[in-house]
Amino acid sequence: MTVATDVREAAPPATPAAAARGPVVCHCRDLTVELGSSEGPRRVLEGITADLREGELVSILGRSGTGKTTLLRVLGGLVDPAPGSQVGFRGQPLDGPPEEAAFVFQDYTASLLPWRTVEKNVALGLEGKASKGEIRRRVADALETVGLAERARDYPWRLSGGMQQRVQLARGLAMDARVLLMDEPFGALDAMTKASLQDELQRVHQQRKPTIAFVTHDVDEAVYLSDRILVLGGSPATIVRDIPVELPRPRDQLATKELPQFHRLRRIVFDEIRAHHG
Amino acid sequence: MAREHGAKRRPGGTGRVNIPGLSTMAALVGLWELAVRSATVELEFLPAPSGIAGAVATLVATGELFPPLLHTLRAALVGWVAAGALGIGLGVVLGLSRPAWRYSMASIEVVRAIPPVSLVPVALLLFGFSLRMELLVIVYAGAWTVLVSTVEGVRNLRPELADVGRMLRMSKATAVRKLVLPSAMPSIVVGLRLALSLSLVLAVVAEMVGNPRGLGNALIRAQQALQPEQTFAYVVTIGLLGVVLNAGLRRMSARALPALAAGRGELA
Amino acid sequence: MTAATRAPAPHPPADAGDVRPPLPRRGRWDGQARRAPALPPLGGLLPLGALLLAWELRGSPGSPYFPPPTTWVDGLGALWTSGRLWPATHQTLSTFAVALAVATLLGALLGLLLGASAKADRAFGPTLEFLRAMPPAAVVPVAALLLGYGATMKAAVVTLAAIWPVLLSTRSGVRAIDPVLLDMARSLRLSALQRARHCVVPALLPSIFLGVRVAAPVALVITMLVEIVTRIDGIGALIATAQRSYLSGQVYGLILVAGLFSFLVNGLVSVAQAYAFRNRPNR
Repeated sequence: MTVATDVREAAPPATPAAAARGPVVCHCRDLTVELGSSEGPRRVLEGITADLREGELVSILGRSGTGKTTLLRVLGGLVDPAPGSQVGFRGQPLDGPPEEAAFVFQDYTASLLPWRTVEKNVALGLEGKASKGEIRRRVADALETVGLAERARDYPWRLSGGMQQRVQLARGLAMDARVLLMDEPFGALDAMTKASLQDELQRVHQQRKPTIAFVTHDVDEAVYLSDRILVLGGSPATIVRDIPVELPRPRDQLATKELPQFHRLRRIVFDEIRAHHG
Repeated sequence: MAREHGAKRRPGGTGRVNIPGLSTMAALVGLWELAVRSATVELEFLPAPSGIAGAVATLVATGELFPPLLHTLRAALVGWVAAGALGIGLGVVLGLSRPAWRYSMASIEVVRAIPPVSLVPVALLLFGFSLRMELLVIVYAGAWTVLVSTVEGVRNLRPELADVGRMLRMSKATAVRKLVLPSAMPSIVVGLRLALSLSLVLAVVAEMVGNPRGLGNALIRAQQALQPEQTFAYVVTIGLLGVVLNAGLRRMSARALPALAAGRGELA
Repeated sequence: MTAATRAPAPHPPADAGDVRPPLPRRGRWDGQARRAPALPPLGGLLPLGALLLAWELRGSPGSPYFPPPTTWVDGLGALWTSGRLWPATHQTLSTFAVALAVATLLGALLGLLLGASAKADRAFGPTLEFLRAMPPAAVVPVAALLLGYGATMKAAVVTLAAIWPVLLSTRSGVRAIDPVLLDMARSLRLSALQRARHCVVPALLPSIFLGVRVAAPVALVITMLVEIVTRIDGIGALIATAQRSYLSGQVYGLILVAGLFSFLVNGLVSVAQAYAFRNRPNR
């Protein structure tokens, strides 16, 4: 645990509220990422330093194309950073996707296996790691949590977009992932489905308290859901601002959004984004 | 072409019995019959449909149809299975291994450009008039078809699924088993279907040119004996065989891959 | 204020996550190219080259089964000097060209009819499906009975085989014509002929072309098939003759020629297609 302590001491100055939260789960120091493109390597992220603490719901916010997804993928071990960067999970340097982390992809149709039923899709992460009975129990649990227990035997293409996204969520929950990395999970959904899924995510967060990193370009969504917002901007992108969101929980789609504090935070975030034009 | 604006054209047939279709076919057959009987069409050796039907009935009744039918069927199926096994086996290897793919695909494309039909004489050179010659041609042609489809299917794994595999930290073997192969199945099945039609056609061709057995051979013999009814009868049999095999494969693949057949209509 | 004075950032892709990272050091097991290249890498010709070389060095020229590549050239040379190669090439290619042209015309017309009229499609559909199921190889003896052994019979069989891709493609092309296009033509009060010339035909050209693209290799293959089976004339007949005389080098050489034709036909059709549709948006 000494490494974890070191990490905490080396962390950027935290707000008083943050100090009261749990240990750091994911961290990156001076993260730089270059991606190959048709014109040669392009520097997408530069000098990113951030911590994710246990039980937090952190939004990564920015305009399209700023590299939010890339940052999330780095934290999820799917993309290698440039040399000189440090990325770690529970204090250990990252070497591939961490065991406890589940990634929820933006394109839900493409990340579900069309030849498996919903329940077999949810079971995918557990196969070979638990007994059959245990798997069945955890899958049923997860489907119950996201409200898809009756659709367990259906194939994904029969489900609506919102339901397919919930299947992905269930997959992560069944794995008992302590960290959920979600890449614009509700971006492709209509407003009402989005609202109900946001609340569902909140509920899951209240119940199981996983650490959630949530990429979005929707300011309202970020303020509504998060404990903290990391605003990305510039090209190559850096963390422009780290905004704590102190709104009371549990949050409500109507009541919370009428609070003056909500509007104040919205304004702060919008201003940051506008100031860093892409 | 007057229709509602915005309405999509529906293909003919609603799944119920296609009355206009069947009656048109019957009408055309009737016209044919009349034309031959009244000698309005002056084509020597054009048989009447009734004659063809009679010939088919005779062939079935005397049992003369079955030995060649079984021979062709067996050759086509055995060749197809062998072609499928070879094609899928090699295809998976080439699809998964980047270096292997790079250093072989161009050769495969070049060899594939040679029409299988032109290899029948080569097969004759090698094996003379025999079943082995027939099988050689069938397996050769079918294997390339299946190979190319398999390679394509394996290589076109959706990047999102590759990500899922990495996220779940699957070993390569597990990922191949659970992600790559199932995802490649539609492509592989298409290749297998093409190979099956190809197998049947090549079996018939090989028999016409060099095998003393089978439907192709019987067909040629009927033609050379100037027996038009029998000739047509064999043609019809070959056509029906193709339809039945294709439909059979389609049903089987629909049952084995229900998720894909219903949802994506690619196999329909 | 400051934002307005800054130059706009260069256009990144829709999401930076779309740009794929270079191979991570852990190695990728999915072993695929992100975008399939138009041609497979030329390094792939290595096995073929190696095979031909080994064959040449180790094969015995007298072998009736696997004559080495130089004998192929010799065999072809013999045909050339005896003046039989060129006429045969001409016969094959002319049958191919004529049959393809007729197939295109008939296929397009029929496809147009079937696509435009759902009733006609329903009525004639089953009959056409039945005819399509007849393998061309099996049709050859029938055609021989009815039309004798000659150029007409060859062309007829090839046409019958090559008509289907054009027909089917045109048919679906007609069905896919945007109704707005026809409404627009009617609202401009164009005559039926003008409508056909300016709207329908250009809209159908891509489908017809696609059909021809599929039909061309089919036509070539069936031409060769008919020639090999009936030995009427053309390259196929030469192959069959060479095989019977056990001139295996010649057989292989002629097959090479057949493959070359196939390659050229495919290439020409691609080029023609690219040229004809150079100004259209990429599908």
